[in-house]
Amino acid sequence: MSNKSKAFTREEELLLQDFSRNVSTKSSALFYGNAFIVSAIPIWLFWRIHMIDLYSSLISFVVVTLISTYLVAFAYKNTKFVLKHKVAVKREDAVTREMTKKLAEDKKMSKKEKDERILWKKNEVADYEATTFSIFYNNALFLAIVIFASFYVLKSFTPAFNYILSVGVAGGLLALLSTGTQ
Amino acid sequence: MEKLFCLLAVLSLAGLSAASSACTKPEVSAQSYTTPDATILTNIGFVAEFTLTCGNGIQNPPLFAELGGKTQPVARIGANKYQVSWVEDVKKARRGDYTINIYDEENYAALRKAIRNNEDISTVKPLAAVVLNYPGAYQGPWVNSEFMAFALSIAVWYAAFSAKSKLLA
Repeated sequence: MSNKSKAFTREEELLLQDFSRNVSTKSSALFYGNAFIVSAIPIWLFWRIHMIDLYSSLISFVVVTLISTYLVAFAYKNTKFVLKHKVAVKREDAVTREMTKKLAEDKKMSKKEKDERILWKKNEVADYEATTFSIFYNNALFLAIVIFASFYVLKSFTPAFNYILSVGVAGGLLALLSTGTQ
Repeated sequence: MEKLFCLLAVLSLAGLSAASSACTKPEVSAQSYTTPDATILTNIGFVAEFTLTCGNGIQNPPLFAELGGKTQPVARIGANKYQVSWVEDVKKARRGDYTINIYDEENYAALRKAIRNNEDISTVKPLAAVVLNYPGAYQGPWVNSEFMAFALSIAVWYAAFSAKSKLLA
């Protein structure tokens, strides 16, 4: 669609915008909120299980959680971007069928309007599925890395270092892995 | 020589049982305790307590115990109440019944003699036997919790990964 030399139609502009890497404010808030929660969860693990002193490591908790929140949100965004195209293709037929059935009764609506609605719905479905799946996938990976790093790889380190390294590495790895296309 | 010794032992037993200091028709009622939880321990404690009632009314005779070829004195903890205790390494402690043979002074001397002469100690008849059962001690869960947490997190991640691969395929 985009390799045609003529100017984009309104429809195509809409499509491009919806499939861009930029996320809406609502989506962004969801990403950052989730990233913050999942980044703060390891604090409990280190406090109750690794017996880290809560007050003396307060600064590292805050700093590491913020850095990790940023990295995890970055990973969410990238994963969502990669997934959204695929999800849109996968769900295209089903959404079109359902929307056509739904809009069939409305005789007054023009063909163009109907197509636009279908496109919009397709985008919404793909966006929603990609967003939620991206959050699920990255959370699972993040927590698995944190558990593995803190209990096995960095077992011999002091809890404070263990915390900084395992959460930092988990966030970093997540961000790195999300930049791949697959 | 062995036969002679046996004869001597039997004779001495017979002679001693007639003597006033020996306990006849002993009746033993025992209670036992073994360590139930060895999660953070290195040794299992075994304690057997028993009450001895002699048919001829002898009170508080000094007693000795034999367990697996080793002898040890029996502690008296009350009127006709005795206690035998020992510890064993957690790894070496075997499950099941432990038979503690109880000897009074006379047949304990015979037992010592049998041990000294490298003779079969089962020829010396004990005064009584106490059976202590060790059902085994709890030594922590089979898989530790961090491994469990790790395995579960990997399982969830794998589910997510396979779903993602299916989407991207």
